[in-house]
Amino acid sequence: MSATVKKVILVEDDSDDRELFLTFFSHRTDIHLLPPVANGLELVDYLKNITSDDDLPHLIVLDQNMPKMNGKQTLTFLKSNERYAQIPAVIYSTYTDATLVIDCKNLGAEMVSNKPIDHEGYQKMMDDFLQIVN
Amino acid sequence: MNKLSDAELIDEIDRLRAQLAEANDTLEAIRTGQIDALVVSDHSGPSLFTLNSADRAYRLFIEQMSEGAVTLNSDGLIIYSNSQFARLVQRPLPQVMGNYFSDFVLDEDLPLFNGLLLRAWETNAKSEMRLKAENKKIDVQLSLNMLEMDEDTSLSVIITDLTQQKDIERELTAKNEQLRNLNNALIASNHDLQQFASVASHDLQEPLRKIQVFSKFLKDKGSDQLSETSKVYVDKIFNLSQRMKILIVDILTYSKLSANDALTAPVYLKEIVNEILDDFDLRIAEKNARVEVSDLCTVEGNRGQLRQVFFNLISNALKFVSPDRSPVIAIRMKKLDPVELGVSLDDHSQYCRVTVSDNGIGFEDTYASSIFSLFETLNPKTAYEGSGIGLAIAKKIVEKHHGLILAKSKVGEGSEFSIILPIKQPA
Repeated sequence: MSATVKKVILVEDDSDDRELFLTFFSHRTDIHLLPPVANGLELVDYLKNITSDDDLPHLIVLDQNMPKMNGKQTLTFLKSNERYAQIPAVIYSTYTDATLVIDCKNLGAEMVSNKPIDHEGYQKMMDDFLQIVN
Repeated sequence: MNKLSDAELIDEIDRLRAQLAEANDTLEAIRTGQIDALVVSDHSGPSLFTLNSADRAYRLFIEQMSEGAVTLNSDGLIIYSNSQFARLVQRPLPQVMGNYFSDFVLDEDLPLFNGLLLRAWETNAKSEMRLKAENKKIDVQLSLNMLEMDEDTSLSVIITDLTQQKDIERELTAKNEQLRNLNNALIASNHDLQQFASVASHDLQEPLRKIQVFSKFLKDKGSDQLSETSKVYVDKIFNLSQRMKILIVDILTYSKLSANDALTAPVYLKEIVNEILDDFDLRIAEKNARVEVSDLCTVEGNRGQLRQVFFNLISNALKFVSPDRSPVIAIRMKKLDPVELGVSLDDHSQYCRVTVSDNGIGFEDTYASSIFSLFETLNPKTAYEGSGIGLAIAKKIVEKHHGLILAKSKVGEGSEFSIILPIKQPA
């Protein structure tokens, strides 16, 4: 892992879960949490408004179940767009079964993870995610 | 008395000779069996005479048939009928003979009958139609065959009563309809189940996870502000939500088994058992358990599902351990025992039997079949964590693989679960 602080954006419609991200990760110095967005559409808007590629996030964490544009749909958009295809994107969901894992991997997700329930779980999940971020 | 002239006498003798010749011809015809019946016309109209002739054996035979049999002359007049036909049309036999056959055909079917009659003079003809009896219609099949006898031709007609057949057909149609409705209901119910699975997978698990998260928060962070009793309550909330999570996941697994997954990959059972033992290595060490695995067979099936079966059985063996001794678990390939199975198998070599036995707490043998039911738990939930779905899942998977799962046990001594699987799945 390089020494630079990684910019991480959470795409999550559930406010409790957005809150949990802040609670569990705000102390970490290796990541910088960008303001979260509520679904895929908002992410697309957010990314389009970034003028310099240097300001793009290093990691996109997608919830699967979201209104308007869910995790898989967002993945499809990201991976078919030259500017965003190289940004590692991961899916995290309350319930992951084999079908979801296979679908998301096929769509280009770097990782698929269950939503953790405690501090240790969250730290471990983020450590795993950062392994795939250059 | 009139005196006749010689010429008149000669004429009278010639006339009588001619009558005698005709009578002799008729007698000859009767003797050789060419004639079945005579229609004699006099001033009171035609009357019919049937004969007891040399073909009596055939007549008896025809009398005994369950089909109606009649003979028609070229006008379509019934010159012979067996009593079965008379019974069919519910008329006394003498009233049947001498009538036109068409008198017994339902009016709507007359054009059909006349057409059939025309064809029958050319070639053998068959058709279904309806006859009329006293006050009902009778479905029959008519089979017409031309009979040529010297100068005269007649038609033999076999009448098969289709009432029962038609009743059965109608019943079959009704049953088919019922089956279709049931099938639709089944499809709808399967759809509901899938809907439920989807609701259970997300909509139920999301709030449940939050309960886990926030009760964990209270446990970890708020513990110094909580009274001892409150801490106990928080622990309970957390443990119960864990338990509910297991329940939901297990129900989902069970309901998804209805889907048609492929069952044809070769699965080396020893390999999956070893994988599971790796997964359980912590628990095995913690319980100081000894696990013995013999060589196991390779069967056709769905690897993930068969893994689930062994996972559930081994997990049970590690769960229901006796407090008095270290657990010993044996996973062995065993010879099939037809007596024990209560079934005889055509060829033992086509099946593989694997047993998972333990020296745990066991259960009363009377529960040997009910433990495979959904939500069946024999032990207090507080003592042994479990959803009561594990064995139901195992049974469903084994049965999907056209196999058999059996349990036997002795309280305090241990349990043995047998899985019998066909080496090859039926095509």
